[in-house]
Amino acid sequence: MIELRQLTKHYGRTTAVDGLSFDVRPGMVTGFLGPNGAGKTTTMRMILGLDAPTNGTATIRGRRYADLPAPMREVGALLDARAVHPGRSVLNHLKSLAQSNGIARNRIEEVLGLVGLAQIADRPAGRLSLGMSQRLGIAAALLGDPEVLLFDEPVNGLDPEGVVWIRTLMRDLAAEGRTVLVSSHLMSEMALTADHLVVIGRGRLLADVELAEFIRSSSRESVLVRTPDAEELACRLRDAGAAVRPGADDTLVAEGLESAVIGKVALAHGVVLHELTPHRISLEEAYMELTRDSVEFGAVEGSGR
Amino acid sequence: MTALTGSTGPTGPTRATRTTGVTGPTGVTASFATALLSEWTKFRTIRVTGYVLAGAFVVTFCYAYLFGTANGRAYLGSSPAEQASFDPRETAFRALALVQLLVSAVGVLTVTSEYAAGTMPASVTAVPRRGRLVAGKAAVITLIMLVCGPLMALGSFLISQTLLAAQGAPSLPLTAPGVPGSIMGGGLYLTLIGLYGVAMGFLLRRTAGAVTLGSFLLLLPASAPLFPDRLAEWVVTYWPSSAGMSMFAPALSSGSLPSHLGSALLGAAVLALLAGAFAVFRSRDV
Repeated sequence: MIELRQLTKHYGRTTAVDGLSFDVRPGMVTGFLGPNGAGKTTTMRMILGLDAPTNGTATIRGRRYADLPAPMREVGALLDARAVHPGRSVLNHLKSLAQSNGIARNRIEEVLGLVGLAQIADRPAGRLSLGMSQRLGIAAALLGDPEVLLFDEPVNGLDPEGVVWIRTLMRDLAAEGRTVLVSSHLMSEMALTADHLVVIGRGRLLADVELAEFIRSSSRESVLVRTPDAEELACRLRDAGAAVRPGADDTLVAEGLESAVIGKVALAHGVVLHELTPHRISLEEAYMELTRDSVEFGAVEGSGR
Repeated sequence: MTALTGSTGPTGPTRATRTTGVTGPTGVTASFATALLSEWTKFRTIRVTGYVLAGAFVVTFCYAYLFGTANGRAYLGSSPAEQASFDPRETAFRALALVQLLVSAVGVLTVTSEYAAGTMPASVTAVPRRGRLVAGKAAVITLIMLVCGPLMALGSFLISQTLLAAQGAPSLPLTAPGVPGSIMGGGLYLTLIGLYGVAMGFLLRRTAGAVTLGSFLLLLPASAPLFPDRLAEWVVTYWPSSAGMSMFAPALSSGSLPSHLGSALLGAAVLALLAGAFAVFRSRDV
């Protein structure tokens, strides 16, 4: 269980994280979503005690990270898989970490087997591919067999096989009852991995919902209608209970009525239809709609920055 | 927390991420000792620190050879009055004044190599008590230099005295009064200089900056003759790196501090820098 309460971080006049409060619960994968620059990494760094919050607290089972007696046994983290000394071997990298928390040597071999790096334990960490580096980072996170796991963008730059492997691992870890927080800027990835979503933008909480709930609330259907009698049909559809707004040219976008019903309404009032197209809003679109105002470097940028 | 072992999902046994080996044979937990062990592994498993340390031995022995040769030749060419005041002790540890730059760099690298490779966040995550991390690195350098420092001083003494003797200049045996103490003093001096490097590494984070500024500050007394008299005298007497040399070198001038005061001054300066390094490291985002 991770608890954030009014967590805030300022860098000079920039606010990276702005009063975040949410819980990350055990037994499920919590997807931590937000556009680039939303404050996901900063939040994770504050949970791990790397950055000091300007305000608020982040605790793990009621304690600050720095107060954990053997932190690696309670929390495992993958922040930057490339952050290894290039000349140090895979085995020695893990050894130096394991020793710092009094973790037995046979556990190193175990996690190496678990992530599939046992064959290259003696290779310098600087000569690993990105995929292998990610596996090494995950091995390091699992060393202490922790109850709480944090992964920052773990699938970035991975090939499809690696992505599936990490996705399966996250699901397995959560199924074992662990608390798993995974950050990503890709809704499509989280839709496949997470049970619960925490969405932030510009350091603020935008949503804290179950994935299923997010899908339900965002899966609205709209229907595009093309007709020469747009005004007439708009009135009739509103009478029938639809939300209607005018589209481009001779089109209407109607929500709240299925296309079959719209066809019947048109027929009943003698309105000619040229097109009738149902459109389901994708998760990705719903997510983009949610975060639209908080994309830091969007294509359209206000001048008054 | 009980381990959730053997959880079998609908598709058969799940990945065995759970084990019993984690707790360790005797339930060891994180402490200063485990941090020290981890720092020792880190030191041992990167090449650059080992190379610089090995280089320090080579430099010590080469300069001991050069100082022994040059001072022996100078003795033979000097007047009887000058010969009478010739002190072979002065030649014995000259090399240490140069090799201290490399020893300081070893201390710097134990810290800055982590910043350069980006491993500091992982290290601080593993050992979030930052004082313990600083202490672990300082302890590793202390242990290494307590062994290597006296060996460098011993090598410098033996090589320089052998070369003095070979040219017929006065030389000292290892058993001469005060010599074993000077060798240990030289080793302790280099140990303090290694710790000074650790402090500079934490304060500046970049290898180039820490080595450059660190070396400049160590060598500042060498430029004392350029300063006004009063300032020059003060620098030579009280500048910590200069005062600390009284731990192994005979008094260079009448105003020099006695050995115990000189070592206390250097020790206090290094301790103050380490305390400053800890304060900065603790309050800074990693």
